[in-house]
Amino acid sequence: MPYTRKNVNRLTGTERRRFVGALLEVKRRGEYDEFVRMHIEYNTPDGEHGLRAAHMTPSFLPWHRKFLLELERALRRVDASVTVPYWDWTRDRTATSVPWLDDLLGGNGRRSDRQVMTGPFAYRAGHWKITEGVTDVRYLTRDLGHARSPIELPTGAELNQALADPVYDTAPWNSTVTYGFRNKLEGWGAGRGSVSWRNHNRVHRWVGGSMLGGASANDPVFWLHHAFVDLQWTRWRQQHRDPRYLPAEPPGVHDAQHRRIVARHERLPPWGVTPDELEDLSGIYRYE
Amino acid sequence: MVQGVGGVPMGGQRGTLLAGAAPPRGRTRREATRRLLFSAVALTLAPVAAACGQPPRATDDDRQATAFDETYRGRHIRGVEVAAARRAAAGGRWEVTIDGRPLHLMRRADGSWLSMIDHYRSYPTPLAAARGAVDELSPGEQLRDLAPGPMGEGPMHMGGGHAVHA
Repeated sequence: MPYTRKNVNRLTGTERRRFVGALLEVKRRGEYDEFVRMHIEYNTPDGEHGLRAAHMTPSFLPWHRKFLLELERALRRVDASVTVPYWDWTRDRTATSVPWLDDLLGGNGRRSDRQVMTGPFAYRAGHWKITEGVTDVRYLTRDLGHARSPIELPTGAELNQALADPVYDTAPWNSTVTYGFRNKLEGWGAGRGSVSWRNHNRVHRWVGGSMLGGASANDPVFWLHHAFVDLQWTRWRQQHRDPRYLPAEPPGVHDAQHRRIVARHERLPPWGVTPDELEDLSGIYRYE
Repeated sequence: MVQGVGGVPMGGQRGTLLAGAAPPRGRTRREATRRLLFSAVALTLAPVAAACGQPPRATDDDRQATAFDETYRGRHIRGVEVAAARRAAAGGRWEVTIDGRPLHLMRRADGSWLSMIDHYRSYPTPLAAARGAVDELSPGEQLRDLAPGPMGEGPMHMGGGHAVHA
């Protein structure tokens, strides 16, 4: 029987408490920081050599789907009633929206040093010390809305532009493609300024602080954000006639992307599952 | 707030030369114009002449003169290009520091740059990426040296020769 991932704004008080409690326990056990480390390690962008499993690549969606599922498993080992809720950033759009309440993720960082001072993940609450950061600060930081040069969260219309694309991904399968659902959702645009970061990328930027760097998984909103991104893949698959993962076959030896991306039936590191195996997980979880 | 980079000193120098070429008594406007033109041509050619006079760089010296060194928003940022990096698919690699601590820059396929601090957008140049990283640091917040690093040569899943088996 599949379990259900809910919209974070529909969690009951008890569900909030148990979700937060499970996160704190996974952190206490040292498992949480392993996820942060893994995300840092899989940061290879497309201008560098090497296999790209997680970003600027067709497997952006299956890699993060599996990553989220593994975190959720860790939470459910602590408390079997817990699932990862999703944050619909097209609707809950302000710094006081549901995810940022004191009994969930806590609020914005303070102005002086962007340190999160409220909620269960504030450093002073004593349970959330950053050990796998890209800077030397030990506290969670946020800069909701990017105060110095304010930006808005992506709108429903912007998200729908990605969902409307009938093709999963296209050659050259990286951050430069202008067609295909994957990159329109991941959000690498061309040019400078605000057109160059969209949907998924823009949300990382809107939250700011810890969420902006390679160690973005330090902020638990990472999982709520990626649950919503994951939900878009599920929706997209329901909306199109041929919603298969692409490429179906690995690029050939003369292709610049040879051995740099993961095709439909190739194994995705570090888990060894294939994108094909991750396309339909409706037997494990569903979205409300 | 930005100090010591770019065209400001050069512009000042040009201005001085042109002012010095202003016609003293008795000179015609044409003469003055010719002198001005000569100055401009000399200025343009000077770096070329200087470059021609230098011995060619040894091929095993992979460091080029491309660099920056400035204070930006109170942070000391330095960068130097290390050419012919094996790892970078799209050209040279840069070694960049903020207050002496390494800022790892990575390349996007379109030639732009991103850092571990600001990982969800890219910048047209290493200098812009370094400034962008400073913009996202809080006062007193310093980079953590991740060496051997998330982008070190080691991890198996990032090696260029890593095979993905079906």
